[in-house]
Amino acid sequence: MSLHALADHPFAAPRSLAEACALLAERAARGERTVLLAGGTDWIVEQHLAPAPAADAPLPLVADVSRLAELRGVAERGDAIRIGAGTTFLELRRDPLVTARLPLLAAAARDVGAIQIQARGTLAGNLATGSPAADGVAALGALDAVLELASVRGTRRVPIAAFYTGYRRNVLLPDELIAAVEVVPPAPGSPFAWRKVGTRQAQAISKVALAAVAELDRSEGPGARLTRLGLGMASVAPTVVFLPEVRALGLGRPLASIDDEALAAATLAGISPIDDVRSTASYRRHVAVALVRRFFESLRAPS
Amino acid sequence: MRIVLTVNGAVREVDVAPVARLLDVIRETLGLTGTKEGCGEGECGACTVLLDGTPVNSCLVAAAQCAGRSVVTVEGLGSAERLSALQEELVSHGGAQCGICTPGVLVSAAALLSRGGVPTDAEVREALAGNICRCTGYQKIVDGVRAAAVRNAAAARGAS
Repeated sequence: MSLHALADHPFAAPRSLAEACALLAERAARGERTVLLAGGTDWIVEQHLAPAPAADAPLPLVADVSRLAELRGVAERGDAIRIGAGTTFLELRRDPLVTARLPLLAAAARDVGAIQIQARGTLAGNLATGSPAADGVAALGALDAVLELASVRGTRRVPIAAFYTGYRRNVLLPDELIAAVEVVPPAPGSPFAWRKVGTRQAQAISKVALAAVAELDRSEGPGARLTRLGLGMASVAPTVVFLPEVRALGLGRPLASIDDEALAAATLAGISPIDDVRSTASYRRHVAVALVRRFFESLRAPS
Repeated sequence: MRIVLTVNGAVREVDVAPVARLLDVIRETLGLTGTKEGCGEGECGACTVLLDGTPVNSCLVAAAQCAGRSVVTVEGLGSAERLSALQEELVSHGGAQCGICTPGVLVSAAALLSRGGVPTDAEVREALAGNICRCTGYQKIVDGVRAAAVRNAAAARGAS
């Protein structure tokens, strides 16, 4: 229990994105750690669970980014929708553009924790913490989101599939922050699935979760083909995974020709589940295969 | 650092460590002990307060993040002498037993009721999904919240 150390942290409240980037750059150049604090729903919990820091270890600077206007808001930008990374899950599920054009993201936002967590938790926090169980990351992965990383050196864009390098590790440099995510919404009315399997509907970290979107060309009748397919699966690997083998199998060939056995093999190729406090590897494999199969069944069903 | 915030409608200036938990500021600095600490990890909802009208877990909010904002705790909903309709209905329906979850339940339910109308059972359950109760089995809480909504709606009709 190291909660007392919380109050000892040095603190800063940059007033703009530029000021936040400058602060990060200065500290990174000196090799000093900075924690960007938004909703606190991961970092403050981690402090609660962490062992007490060594007395001589310098505490990181906590920089509050929760009020930076540049990190908020949802807007159309060309064909895409740009979402400020500091947008909370509660804002997402209530946003008219998100609910109309990105219903998958709205559904996932509604299943994050419960309202108290949704009111504080942000996309940036979900992405940066990088829990293998992150609901928001699974949904953004299915939507092939592009992350906008900002620093004093400018902005670079990283596809979500290239963001994670391992368990809770990513390509963010010490002087960078996640400023926004950009998503090209599927055609209106496109099928999607959000399935979170856990012990309880709210406040439960998933045993397995699947986010999926597809666009379907039905012009050939029974030869209907997928023209877009995105999947994100949580709690089945060290990071959220995007099931490239299933995408490769599903894209471009007639839906009716994709059999369950091949689908199961492709799903299993993309995951590496373990036994842990929430579930077992074998149950996770079973559920992962079933969730992907059911999504494809829903696509084959006549609309 | 010194911050100014509104607590239960009154402007307060308090001296806080910036990354102290709002929960500790409420209970220790402000002496408002109605708000309870359950898990301290954002799981149980016992420490729920309204921050600018929205329920949050006060164990996961840094004090400095509340500067210039409005906080409502269970003490802001009513008093022992003058209970709100919601508090009365929770009591009369048996929706409060050991009492540890009750302040958080009341705050979350008050946020739901502030939107007006009479919520469905499912809406009440979703609004209270972040508040864990180990005594009541929830049904009595749901019944109490809906009864309060009916009373509030009738009062609103009478007033208009």
